[in-house]
Amino acid sequence: MRIFVIDDDRMWEDYYRRVLRGYDLDFFHDGVAAMAEMDDVRPDLVVLDLLLVGPTGFAILNEMRSYPELASVPVVIVSSVELRDELADDYGVAAVLDKSKMTPRELRACVEECCCAA
Amino acid sequence: MKSEVIGSSAGGLSSGAVVVAHELKAPLSLMRQLALSLELEDDKAGVKRVGDQIVATSERALRQVNDLLKVARLDDALFEMEPVNPRAVCDDVVSELWQLFRFNRRELKIDYRNRRHLVVANRQLLHSVVYNFCLNAMNYGGEELPSEVMISDRKNGRIRVAVRDYGPAVPTRIWREIKDGFVNRPLEIAMRPGSSGMGLYIAAKFANYMGADFGLIRHRDGTSFYVDLQISGQLSLV
Repeated sequence: MRIFVIDDDRMWEDYYRRVLRGYDLDFFHDGVAAMAEMDDVRPDLVVLDLLLVGPTGFAILNEMRSYPELASVPVVIVSSVELRDELADDYGVAAVLDKSKMTPRELRACVEECCCAA
Repeated sequence: MKSEVIGSSAGGLSSGAVVVAHELKAPLSLMRQLALSLELEDDKAGVKRVGDQIVATSERALRQVNDLLKVARLDDALFEMEPVNPRAVCDDVVSELWQLFRFNRRELKIDYRNRRHLVVANRQLLHSVVYNFCLNAMNYGGEELPSEVMISDRKNGRIRVAVRDYGPAVPTRIWREIKDGFVNRPLEIAMRPGSSGMGLYIAAKFANYMGADFGLIRHRDGTSFYVDLQISGQLSLV
């Protein structure tokens, strides 16, 4: 399973590598680079932060949804932003996790569930 | 904390306090996640690495809190000006930050071109200025080239201490505010934790206190933030 992790804070990269050990992870620190890669490679899952330098996570999400081949890619939002529960429905994302409240086990379980469903 | 740090009041809590809370939420969230993830580690090296990351992240957050406390106490004139060797200060900062840069998959190098003069500064405040410049470069610098801590002589009897990054251009609005010397609030470089521009705000305050010129140069491929400091009349003993 190939997972794109889009988060501009590099300190989180090591964390994701350890928590999601066993998955094929590609890291992107801005949305432009991630979208460029998605032109060539369709990920099985996207783990997306919202507050990024450059295009926000919402912009990336909207962009993905505008392409038929990417529209169905499951997205897990992992962000420090406190979001409404309905956001998952509004944007059609698989899950929304709060960086300040989630646990590593919850993150891994969420990713496993998305990958199983994919 | 003083009102000039806090900024305008909004919703019962000042905007500055909101920025500070936002800034500190990022390292606190990361430290919590790293601590929780320790249970996933089954070898000593992995545990040590996570421990080092927690320490580096907490030290960075603590330094930011300490700097904000210093900003609040600037008016008390607690920070005496003295002859300071800028190379020694920059060496200290680089030594302090190399591990944090490594965890961020970044590099930091030095490029000293000044003759060995002392500058008139407060050592603690100059350290904070350079530290905050470096953190800014770490957050916004590109991945291909290392950020550089540079010291050079100026023609006007000053020495420039600068940090050069190879990241995206600073927004024109921010550039203008700094150029005009209007840095009275954290500058929002990007709306995300850790990017409120708090470090630049702190650096500008400390530079102003030391009578240094604070500014930035926009390059085609990045930005240099700098302070120009008065050369001390005292001969360098180094």
